[in-house]
Amino acid sequence: MQIHPSDLGLIARVTNLGKRYGTGPGAVAALDDVSLGLRRGEFTAIMGPSGSGKSTLMHIMAGLDSPTSGRVWLGDTDITDLPDGELTVLRRRRIGFVFQSFNLVPTLDVRANVLLPFELDGRRPSKDEQAWIDELLDTLGLAPRVKHRPHELSGGQQQRVAIARALATRPDLVFADEPTGNLDSRTGREVLSLLASASSRTGQSIAMVTHDPVAASHADRILFLADGRIVRDTARSTPEEISSYMLAMEAAA
Amino acid sequence: MTRLKDLLPTLLVATLAAAFGVALLQITGILTAVITSENGLAESGTVQLMLGLVAGVFITIAVYVSAVVTGNTVATVVAGRTRLIALLRLIGSSAGAQRAAIAREGLLVGLAGAVLGALVGSAAAWGIAEIGMAQGSIPRVTYSLVDPLLLVPMVAVALTTWLAAWTGSRRVLAVRPAQALGNATEADFDEVSSRRGRAVAAWILGVLGAGLLVLGVVVGLVRPEGVLIGLLGGILSFTAIVLAAHRVMPPVLRVVGRLFGDRPAARLAAENAVRHPERSSRMTIGLVIGVTLVTTFAVTMETYRHMLLIATDDQPELQDALGPVIDGTVAVFSTLIGFSAVIAAVGLVNTLSISVMQRTRELGLLRALGFDRRQIRVMVLVEAAALTVAATLTGLVLGIAYGWVGAQSILGSVGSGPGIVAPVIPWPIVAIVVGAAALLTLAASVAPMRRAARVSPVVALAVD
Repeated sequence: MQIHPSDLGLIARVTNLGKRYGTGPGAVAALDDVSLGLRRGEFTAIMGPSGSGKSTLMHIMAGLDSPTSGRVWLGDTDITDLPDGELTVLRRRRIGFVFQSFNLVPTLDVRANVLLPFELDGRRPSKDEQAWIDELLDTLGLAPRVKHRPHELSGGQQQRVAIARALATRPDLVFADEPTGNLDSRTGREVLSLLASASSRTGQSIAMVTHDPVAASHADRILFLADGRIVRDTARSTPEEISSYMLAMEAAA
Repeated sequence: MTRLKDLLPTLLVATLAAAFGVALLQITGILTAVITSENGLAESGTVQLMLGLVAGVFITIAVYVSAVVTGNTVATVVAGRTRLIALLRLIGSSAGAQRAAIAREGLLVGLAGAVLGALVGSAAAWGIAEIGMAQGSIPRVTYSLVDPLLLVPMVAVALTTWLAAWTGSRRVLAVRPAQALGNATEADFDEVSSRRGRAVAAWILGVLGAGLLVLGVVVGLVRPEGVLIGLLGGILSFTAIVLAAHRVMPPVLRVVGRLFGDRPAARLAAENAVRHPERSSRMTIGLVIGVTLVTTFAVTMETYRHMLLIATDDQPELQDALGPVIDGTVAVFSTLIGFSAVIAAVGLVNTLSISVMQRTRELGLLRALGFDRRQIRVMVLVEAAALTVAATLTGLVLGIAYGWVGAQSILGSVGSGPGIVAPVIPWPIVAIVVGAAALLTLAASVAPMRRAARVSPVVALAVD
C-alpha cells in the first residue's frame, strides 16, 4: 500500500530535493538533498542566512519553480511534474501568498483584491465563504476600508489585505515571504500575531520564510537552512534561543 | 544612461513626420511644375499658394501629433526610470542636469529623424512622381527634389522633438533622491498639479466654438458662407477637446471598458487603461484627432455628393462625371490626414509596450495568484482594444457631428430654400477606420502579450 503524505498528517512534503543553477564546475547548488514535511495546521518558520536556499525551497514548494532532483507534494498531489496550466490552477485554489512588498493589485480596491482568487476561478464566493471573508475583513480591521485602493492604505494595512486575500480561499498552505520585512516593529508584531492566530484558531497551515528571530518566535516549529541543507528542526523557541543558535551558526561557518 | 531601445520609438515617429512633410512639399513642387508646363505661369502662382497652404496644414497636423506622441513616450520612459533617476540624484546629480540630458537626447533624435525622414520622404516623392509619369497619369516634366523650403518641416520636426522631450521629462523634477532607498510600492505618478489655466482655456474655447458652430448652421440656412463661421467654430471647439483630453477620454475609456464584460482579465484591463489618465489621454488623443478629421471630411463630402445627386437627377452624364472627382478628393485627403493617425498609432503601440513591461512585478503577482497565461494575454489585448475602441468611437462621433455641421452650413441654403440636411454616413470610410483600428489593436498587443505571458510568477516575490 502506498503511503500518502496526508496519512502522516503532512500538508506538504519534499523528498531528496535538489536545485542546481548552471552546469559543470561553475554550478551552484541552492538546495542539496532536502527532505522535510510540513504538518497540517502548523505555523512553520523557515530560517537561514541569505543564500541558504530558503527562498528557493519556498518557490519550489509553492509550484513557482521546479527542482533539479527529488519530488514535491502538496497535500496528496505530486506537483513535481505538473504542467504550467495545472500549477496555475493549484496556486489559485490551494495556495495563498503573503509577500514582503505587500503586492496588491493597485487598480483594485480592498474587497476586489481579497476576492481576486475567486474571480480568477470564475466563481463567486459561496454563502459560507462570504461569511468567512466578512469575518476576516472584520478581524483584520479592514471592514471600514473595503472601498479603498492600496495606495490609500498604510503598509501595515496593505499587508493585512494581503493576509485576508491569502486566507480567503482557505488554502491548504499559505506561504509568507518575509511578511514583516517592510514594516515597523510594532506593525510587524501585529501581522505576526494575526498569522499565528489564523493557524491556531482555524488550523490554517502556514510556512513563513524569514531571517528575523522575533518573527520566527511566533511559529510552532522552526527549520534552519544553511548552504542548501536543513541543519536544525526545533519546536517553538524564544527569540533569544533563535538568535544565539544563529550566532553559533555564523561562528561555525 | 539611456539605452538605444528607449530612443527608437521617438526616432521612428520623428522620421515618419519628417518624411511626410518633405514628401508632401516635394510632390506639391512637382504638381506646380506640371501645372506651369500646361497652363503657364500666371495661373500657377495661385495654385502654388493654395497647394502650399494645404500642404502646410497637413504637415502642421502631422508634426503636432508627433510632438504629442513623443512627449508621451518620453514621460512613460521617465516614469519607468524613477528609481534610476533617484539613484543618480542620491549620488549627487542635479534634477536640472538629468532633465537637460533627456532633452539633449531629444534634440539629437529629432535631428537624426529629420535627416532620415528627408531621405525616406524624397525617395517616396521621387517614386510617386516616376510612377505617375511612367503611367502617363501626369505629364513628364523636369522637376527638382531639392528646395530650401524642405528645411522647414525638417527643422520643425527636430525642434518639436526637442521640445516634446523637454516637456515629457518634467516629471524628473519631482523625483526625490530618497526614492532610491524606498521600497517598491508603485508611486502614483500622475501630475495632479492644478491645471486651472488649461481648464479655463478649454472652457472658453469650447463655449465659443460651440456658439460659432450653431451660428454657422443658422447662417448656413440662408447663405453658404455660414461654413466659414462653422469652420472657425470647429477649430476652436476641437482645440478645446484636445486641451481637455485628460477630462474627456477617461470617462469614455471607462464606458468602453465596461463593454468587455466582468471577467477578471477584462475588468483589470479596463482599469489598466485608465490607471494613468494623463498617459492614456495622450495615447488616444492623437488617434482621436486623425479619426475625427478623416470622418469630418468624409461625412461632409458624402452629404455633398448626396445633395448633388438629387440636384442633378435629370443629368445622368454629369452625375457620372462628378462621382470619380468626389471619390478622388476624399481618397487623397483621407490619406493625407490618415498619416497623422499612423503616427499616433505608432505612439500608442510604443506606450502600451513600455507600460506593460513596467508592470512586470504586477504581472508576476497575478501569475502567482493564479492567472494563467491565456488570461494574461487576454488582459493585454483587452487593454489595447479599450484604448483603440475609445479613440475610434470618439473620433467617429465627433467627425460625424462636425461633418454634419459642415454639410449643413454649406448646403442648408441650397435648393428649395432653407432646410435641414440629413448627414450621410460614408460607410466605406467608416469600415476602413474600424478595420484599421482592429489591426492597430492587434499590432499594439502582439509584442506586449507575448512578453507579459512570459513573466514568471517568481518575480512577484523578488524584492528589487
